[in-house]
Amino acid sequence: MTSEAPRLTVVTGSEANNAWRKRTFSVISHGLLIGASILMLYPLLWLLSASFRPENEIFNATSLWPSSWSLDAYFRGWNGLRVSFSVFFLNSFVIAILCVVGNLLACSLAAFAFARVPFRGRKFWFAMMLMTLMLPGQVTLIPQYVLFRSIGWIDTILPLVAPKFLAVDGFFIFLMVQFFRGIPKELDEAAMMDGCSWWRIYWKIMLPLSIPVLATAAVFTFIWTWDDFFAPLIYLNEMKQYTVMLGLRTFTDSTGESDFGGLFAMSVLSLVPIFVFFLLFQRLLIEGIATTGMKR
Amino acid sequence: MTARSMSTSSVNSQRAVNNAWWSRAWSNNAPGYLFLLPWLIGFLGLTIGPIISSFYLSFTNFDLLTPPRWIGADNYIRMFTNDPKFVASIRVTLFFVIFSVPLKLAFALGVALLLNRGMRGLPLYRALFYLPSLLGASVAIAILWRQLFAGDGLVNQVLANFGIIGPSWISNPNYSLWTLIILSIWQFGSPMIIFLAGLRQIPQDMYEAASLDGASKSRMFWKITLPLLTPVVFFNAIIQTIEAFKSFTPAFIISGGTGNPINSTLFYTLYLFQEAFGYFRMGYASALAWFLLLLVAAFTAFSFLTSKYWVHYDE
Amino acid sequence: MTFRVDRRQFLMGSTALLAAGALSPVLAQDSSLRLLFWGSQARADRTYGVTDLYTKAGGPAVEGEFLAWNDYWPKLATQTAGGNAPDIIQMDYRYIVEYANRGAIAPMDEFVGGALQLADFDADQLEGGKVGGKLYGISLGANSVALMINTADFEKAGIPVPGPTTTYADLAAMAEAFKAAGIEKKVIADGSGSEPMFENWLRQRGKALYTADGKLAWEVADATEWFTMWADFRAKGICVSAEDQALDTGPLETTMLTLGKASIIPSNSNQLVAFQAINQDKLTISNFPRIAADAPGGHYRKPSMFFSIGGTAANKEAAAKLINFFVTSKEASLVLGVERGIPCSAGVREALAPTLDEQSQTALNFVANLGDLLGALPPSPPAKAGEIDASLFRTLSQEVGFGARTPEDAGNALFTGANDILSRAS
Repeated sequence: MTSEAPRLTVVTGSEANNAWRKRTFSVISHGLLIGASILMLYPLLWLLSASFRPENEIFNATSLWPSSWSLDAYFRGWNGLRVSFSVFFLNSFVIAILCVVGNLLACSLAAFAFARVPFRGRKFWFAMMLMTLMLPGQVTLIPQYVLFRSIGWIDTILPLVAPKFLAVDGFFIFLMVQFFRGIPKELDEAAMMDGCSWWRIYWKIMLPLSIPVLATAAVFTFIWTWDDFFAPLIYLNEMKQYTVMLGLRTFTDSTGESDFGGLFAMSVLSLVPIFVFFLLFQRLLIEGIATTGMKR
Repeated sequence: MTARSMSTSSVNSQRAVNNAWWSRAWSNNAPGYLFLLPWLIGFLGLTIGPIISSFYLSFTNFDLLTPPRWIGADNYIRMFTNDPKFVASIRVTLFFVIFSVPLKLAFALGVALLLNRGMRGLPLYRALFYLPSLLGASVAIAILWRQLFAGDGLVNQVLANFGIIGPSWISNPNYSLWTLIILSIWQFGSPMIIFLAGLRQIPQDMYEAASLDGASKSRMFWKITLPLLTPVVFFNAIIQTIEAFKSFTPAFIISGGTGNPINSTLFYTLYLFQEAFGYFRMGYASALAWFLLLLVAAFTAFSFLTSKYWVHYDE
Repeated sequence: MTFRVDRRQFLMGSTALLAAGALSPVLAQDSSLRLLFWGSQARADRTYGVTDLYTKAGGPAVEGEFLAWNDYWPKLATQTAGGNAPDIIQMDYRYIVEYANRGAIAPMDEFVGGALQLADFDADQLEGGKVGGKLYGISLGANSVALMINTADFEKAGIPVPGPTTTYADLAAMAEAFKAAGIEKKVIADGSGSEPMFENWLRQRGKALYTADGKLAWEVADATEWFTMWADFRAKGICVSAEDQALDTGPLETTMLTLGKASIIPSNSNQLVAFQAINQDKLTISNFPRIAADAPGGHYRKPSMFFSIGGTAANKEAAAKLINFFVTSKEASLVLGVERGIPCSAGVREALAPTLDEQSQTALNFVANLGDLLGALPPSPPAKAGEIDASLFRTLSQEVGFGARTPEDAGNALFTGANDILSRAS
């Protein structure tokens, strides 16, 4: 939009008027966005301030400003459990990165098949894939546990990671299918004429054009894997295999004493990697057809 | 002898036909299935078994600890004839779906459009707007939500400035579900990101061409942006609806797993979870799951059928 | 083909672990014991302290794992269903019948006198761990229901804190005194949805929650009267409003006491230390109010939690020995303190008492000196008692509170609903 603006002003010829309108518009939308950001930020600020607060102030103070500041909760939290949080962070990273790789590979392959490659039964399998999206996880939990146990995977990260390489996350397949379908078909038809194989079309045309959606899938996979606690809870037994989220959950127990200060301090730290990951990848989100030089 | 050679040759030709059929079928279908292979293995190996087993279990009495006992359709009969909590949970869930999904999507699309104008500070805003979704549904959120929506919470303090004395939103059965709807809308990050990615994929030269033709902004939105975005709108609508039907964690965290006050936040999956792991009725929980599956499937099928009238694919 | 193998394995398992025993436990190859418990880091530190002592003294290695209460039960259920149950399982009285009836935990009678040296163990605590006459859980500590009281409020109001003779009728006078002193808090939380309080009230009336054969031991009229009494308290501003009470979702942090809405809440003696840690005013405990000055107290000493042995544990005797160390070793008790309740072995109690801080002393003295408040231990509740409490009783109390039902209506609904749940439990 910024790039087309100069051309427009030349056409209309009322430069001053237009610049003024543009500025007012910009001021208004920035105002709106800043206002909304404060609403959005409030929880994080609250969490931050709670992590520095004296414990007994967390539940009844309404101001965001703690009466006194202390880093205690951070030190207490980091080494508070029997295993230090550095181990949890490392575990979470390994699992999340592997899941990202698995999801990007396996889901894009399946999505390409559903979106582009003709074959018998495509509709049927697509419907099956959608069905997997709808089934509540609580119910397949026990059979899956039994399955993983029978192949000796309990207490390893395999039940968390291996399924991603088999594209069990229908969400991402569906997401990619929707995007692939939006990419002009002439592109692969032309490549087909030139004798390109399906593989080359997938690898050389589809994937480079799908950077926004791949980045989206990567961001979501990372964040969701990072945030997930139920699967790690069920499949990981030893504390030195715990993920960050699982570690966080052991700070609070409804039947007894809970370390909320430690919980909040570690919650703040647990947000850092996903936030950084998001910031890094959102740059890729912006790249699309518009910037890859491939125009129809 | 001749007869035999004749028959051999006919068998041969038959085989040739078969071979041709096979090689055609192979070349027509093999690439698709090869691309689909990882998913197929995962589906057949990891998903279909548990699904079939849950279907079987829905006709049994299964307490997790002893073998399931076949009881026919009793679970389903009980669901529809004698289970007020089932009815309550359906009502809560439908209410949640109907209000949270459209509001969340409208919000996400609006912000995405605003952010897509290429304004200064875009990456910062985008990150800020995504923050609530990063927080997910944690204990911290549960506490925060109580601080905001309790009788003496922040919301009521703000309202007091306008002379309004608000109730304790989060613990009043008339409003508690709304606090969860607000939570859901507030975490509009994922559909927003998907909208943004979709907007980025619309070729820029289409706008350039349109603006050369003198098209207005709103015309460009209705004639270019929205039609080209429909696959993404469709995707977000389907996914958000399915997710809303399956919504579990917010209610679980905020009501402490109870669905209270007076079952006003008893989401369907929360009830299902209680039945399965709280009261060890895995058979009944499976039946609940299958009903949910049918409900959502009916909705999804309906959306797909109507989608051809409004979703624009580049065919 | 892999699919068929997988599916067969899975069917074998999922049609319910007929196979629980047949699938050999993964961890059986080494002799270490797996211990699973719920609780906080503070409890974990104490527990690991004891297991370390045990291992150092020549016992097998113990792999302890702890989870928060809400996470604990799904995980235990999954592990048990998957044939992967731990050797030693922390059990709650709400679930012990359920797990015992299904063979998920093992009876321990054969180890009594051998691996389990329970000569000076309190008889009522031992009784509390029995299901159908067999011993399925060893109590890790006794506690009793108790009122958790903010003493500062009563000081400010200029009246004595509730004591052994306080009756429900006295609460009204307290509310007057609070108002006169300008205290905005209510005297007491809304106890109408507190099952222990209802039970105590019933016992004072010579009834009980359940009979020994798992039937309801009260009548519609009792329930109606109970709900009516609290509706009256609510109307008179003696207890908190329904809206406030609904803020309490279980954790100590959301109770009316901690939120500063009420000065008294129904609670348990062993939670005094935990409550004090998150409240600035000085707290104390006392017995539940009496229904009349001369009524029996209705209290009993309840096992706070148990250790049970997993039904599939490879070496049950080794598990029993570890449990024995936890409950009978003086060394261990010094590490454990009264965090799980008052130790049930007389010798251990003697060794421990002088080492305790003020709050723990208070709790110990309260449980040890219930005197005429103490009644007989009720029979262990039927398997679905937890469901009646969580999904029926509390909801009905809220419905009365919010005016969606009359007390009479709720009394009827509780009786029929509870019977329905009991008959559904197979």
